[in-house]
Amino acid sequence: MEKEPIIQVRHMVKNFGPTRALRDVDVSFYRGEIRGLIGENGSGKSTITSIVAGMQKATSGEMFYKGEPWNPASMVDAQLHGISMVLQEANTIPNCTVAENIFAGRFNEFAVANSFLSMRKVNKAAQEILDRFGLSHIKATDSINKYGFEDRKLIEIVRCVSDETEVFVVDETTTALSLEGRQLLYKLIHKLKDNGKSVIFISHDMDEILEQCTDLTVLRDGEIIGHLNREEMDAPGAEKKIRFMMVGREIGDAYYREDYDTSHRPEVALKLDHVSFGPIKDFSLELHKGEIIGFGGLSGCGMHEIGRAAFGLEKLNEGKVMCEGKEIRSCLDAIESGIGYISKNRDTEALILEGGIGENIVLPSLNALSHATFISPKAEKKLSDGEIDNFRIKCYGGKQWVNTLSGGNKQKVSFSKWTAKKSDVLIMDCPTRGVDIGVKQFMYHVIAEMKQQGKSIILISEELGELIGMADKILIMKDFEVTHEFMRSPSLSETDIIEYMI
Amino acid sequence: MPDNTKNGAIASQRTDERTSFFTFVKTHTMDLLAYAGLAVMLILFLVFNSGPRLMYNFSAVVQAAAVYSILALGAVFIYSMGFMDVSLGQQIGVYVILMILIGNKIGGVPGVIVGFLLVLALALVCGAINGAVSIFLGLPSIVTSLFLMFFFTGAQYLMMESTGENTIKLVQTIKPADRNTYTLLLIGIIVLLAVIGTYFFNYTKLGKYTRAIGANKVAAKQSGISLVKWQVLGYMALGFCAAVASFVMLTRTGTAGKGTGSGYAMDIMICLILGGMPLKGGMKSKISCALVGAFTYTLLSNVLTTMGVPLNWVNFVKACIFLVIVLLTCRKPNGVLPR
Repeated sequence: MEKEPIIQVRHMVKNFGPTRALRDVDVSFYRGEIRGLIGENGSGKSTITSIVAGMQKATSGEMFYKGEPWNPASMVDAQLHGISMVLQEANTIPNCTVAENIFAGRFNEFAVANSFLSMRKVNKAAQEILDRFGLSHIKATDSINKYGFEDRKLIEIVRCVSDETEVFVVDETTTALSLEGRQLLYKLIHKLKDNGKSVIFISHDMDEILEQCTDLTVLRDGEIIGHLNREEMDAPGAEKKIRFMMVGREIGDAYYREDYDTSHRPEVALKLDHVSFGPIKDFSLELHKGEIIGFGGLSGCGMHEIGRAAFGLEKLNEGKVMCEGKEIRSCLDAIESGIGYISKNRDTEALILEGGIGENIVLPSLNALSHATFISPKAEKKLSDGEIDNFRIKCYGGKQWVNTLSGGNKQKVSFSKWTAKKSDVLIMDCPTRGVDIGVKQFMYHVIAEMKQQGKSIILISEELGELIGMADKILIMKDFEVTHEFMRSPSLSETDIIEYMI
Repeated sequence: MPDNTKNGAIASQRTDERTSFFTFVKTHTMDLLAYAGLAVMLILFLVFNSGPRLMYNFSAVVQAAAVYSILALGAVFIYSMGFMDVSLGQQIGVYVILMILIGNKIGGVPGVIVGFLLVLALALVCGAINGAVSIFLGLPSIVTSLFLMFFFTGAQYLMMESTGENTIKLVQTIKPADRNTYTLLLIGIIVLLAVIGTYFFNYTKLGKYTRAIGANKVAAKQSGISLVKWQVLGYMALGFCAAVASFVMLTRTGTAGKGTGSGYAMDIMICLILGGMPLKGGMKSKISCALVGAFTYTLLSNVLTTMGVPLNWVNFVKACIFLVIVLLTCRKPNGVLPR
């Protein structure tokens, strides 16, 4: 009765030093399925797929691919045998053309007389593939640098999937994609499924998993907790059941803010006064104390730039940003006026990955900690330990490096930099991107509490649910302009908003 | 902040301190290698030198290591930002010549003091230029320092040409006549600068900011660090040390020529690598790298010579050792936990 699995994993164990990432995992993947893998950060989802796709080796255990023992030497080896993976992080080669990126490592196929490379052929083939995937707006001959993060992600997907692809692994890729990008990817994985290929889909987004996957495997702490088939996923209360499996206990219903009180104090905390820069023209905004203003829109609508400008990161052509009666011209001005900024590019902009948790937390506060040039290590430790406790950052101490933390815990470090600095205005750009439910719930709780304390928040998000759930006022942007303003209300739904976005 | 009892959806708090031998070795590989290198060199030094030769060679090592140590202490501030300065050797050459010329012109101890102060001012200005130009023009630090290197090479030649001599000598004697007093004095200077360097690198914004800039410029900027200001200050710290090192060099011989200082920029880089300094800078940068590296390097040269390695082979041996170190340290394992 059992179908023949395309990939079979038996007794897989993976240790990173003293950390046990996978403990004796048994799992099989089949043709014609889109298998969701879900679990909190650090549960081992990516570890399994990265071993299958040849990125790293297991500590022990065995794998079978099409019935044969499977020991890929590298990701390239795996891809040649039909197992491809798209990663969460950017993985394109800068300063090369799109075509060169798509066919990197495969130029032999385009050799003329076994020696010369015909770039014309490469470009032509690349453009054909792009068109086939519905990405005609990307030109094969352009430099990859011309394209934003999202397009690059799509190019990566194009590079991974070919006719020989048997198993396609999507590792939290959708967080980087906007609505259109996601639709493209969904179409692709369903096509692969229909053609009898196997798709492994890792995501933090429960709705996405429930909509797209045919089967679901839940992991926790390096172990498989259970499997759900489509029927079980459609059953009422499935979401709650899955969450329970992921976290291991009830997490309660309190997720977003529960109140619908949009009142705030009368004082203006942050003001953008007829600001113009880049494509943004004459933008004004008043953020009051105790107010949460949400920004929503498709990627490239200009909402991220507004956040950057408010923090003094953009050079303004006209207008000014004011906070506490002071004009903000640089990050330093902004920070000293009590503004904090959580960048959406957590790993490249918000954190020093190759640095201690403590060092990261105290960085904006060093100015205040410095007395006649001296910075007391004790005061530093006190400040960072306090934040680590408050945010319940999972680590062995402030000296642990940030790059050893899971996504959710990294984001907590990014938050705590500004609570340590006691910032009164927080600009949060996609604060819950790539963060699992448990941490998300915690973040929402923190944000709600900040509002109670009279702090002001700009919440820029690609998730409408988050905006509806948290913001007092939602500004929807399109083509660098605000197209509509919604006030917080229990009746507000995503469909009301979407029409102003596209 | 939410209290810990409410909304208890989050994983446990700080786990127990993990100080297993394994983790310790893994996180301190560079330091352990550096200290092991120093220890090996020290043992070899003691093995190949005995009796009166030991004392003599010890003071020779201190004399040579003093210049390296002082320069390396300053260089840590820019290497921690991931920068380098190839003009260092020529700068020192010019500084020593200038001190002699000014010292002889004015004469006596006041001449030496005035010479030193002028050189100090010049070194600080050069540091500021080095730091500011590369950031304003968006050039890699090596390019600006290449410019300064050629500039100073030219200046050194012109100054020596103008004297019409191959070497010039400071008339005023500033070196203590007694060898032991001189050695002690140098040790005193090294210790004093090491204390000052440690203070600024570990306990003030200067060190913390330069490391942060080296680790992630964007994150540093978004944490309120002015890149221009701290980059310039970092280079000025090196400038200060370059002036002091030039003075110490002057005390050793009292002379200077066209070749004075040449090779020091690379020597300092090798010292820092031997001391365990990551060339890309960042949070793993340590002030101790300067001293460990400077002494390892000096001891290495000394041991090779006393072992009877011909002088023209010393550089080959150094190159091989350097290559091994680079191979050992650049093989960066991707020991980062995946999500």
